[in-house]
Amino acid sequence: MEKQIEDLKAIREMMERSSKFLSLSGLSGIMAGVTAITGAAIAYFYILEQPRAVAVPLLILDASLTLIISIGFGILFSVRKARKRNLKLVNSLTRKIIYSLVIPLVTGGFFSLILISRDQIELVAAITLIFYGLGLVNVSKYTLDEIHYLGLTEIVLGICAAIFLYHGILFWTIGFGLCHIVYGFIMYRKYD
Amino acid sequence: MENIIANLNKAFESRIRLGIMSILMVNDSVDFNTMKDLLELTDGNLASHIKALEGLEYIQSSKQFIGRKPNTRFLITELGRKSFRDHLNALENLIR
Repeated sequence: MEKQIEDLKAIREMMERSSKFLSLSGLSGIMAGVTAITGAAIAYFYILEQPRAVAVPLLILDASLTLIISIGFGILFSVRKARKRNLKLVNSLTRKIIYSLVIPLVTGGFFSLILISRDQIELVAAITLIFYGLGLVNVSKYTLDEIHYLGLTEIVLGICAAIFLYHGILFWTIGFGLCHIVYGFIMYRKYD
Repeated sequence: MENIIANLNKAFESRIRLGIMSILMVNDSVDFNTMKDLLELTDGNLASHIKALEGLEYIQSSKQFIGRKPNTRFLITELGRKSFRDHLNALENLIR
């Protein structure tokens, strides 16, 4: 009896460990959210006050820095969690994850740049939210279930941002800031 | 009770073989080194269990070359999938 229960536990663990990336830390989400809110605040209170010709390159710089810092924290906390649980961070699974995340993200990135170059900057908040959400839904089969729901939330917020076009930055801040913090906190409590 | 125990597959008595089958149930194919890392085994130890499962035709291997390095990948056969599923059901019935 004991052996059978232990066997079932081992089966479940091997299935999860080999097919899901479990080193994702809730702290990454929280830090990504804080970074996004900081980035959005800089954009809202400083950059958007500038004349358009100056504002656009500054916005791109602000967005790129926000992205790089968030990814940096994501990697940092994942490395720490993987080390703590004695898991390997880079394996064939990581490659699958990067591949399924990169396609929607790069598509969204190009789309945003095209919109910016056509001076339709208002839609960029919606587009980044929607494509990020699609990327998360796409990648969620390889990682924690919460990522699936985070992805759906981002898509809904992206559509709202497109409908209420002039409140784009508000929805962007909720999506990339608040949602990351909330989901990060839930994941931290549950798995870390 | 005896009847239920009879449904347990002897081939999966070892925790390592159970691990190999579990991994191959949820992945299309897995290479030797990934398998080794996941199960925290040595080359020889993994190889002997792989050979046993291959002998039963529960898994099959395909050898490719990446540059000059041989890369062996394993996948589960239809028979292996069915046998493992039966074993899982037997386990579940036992603890019910």
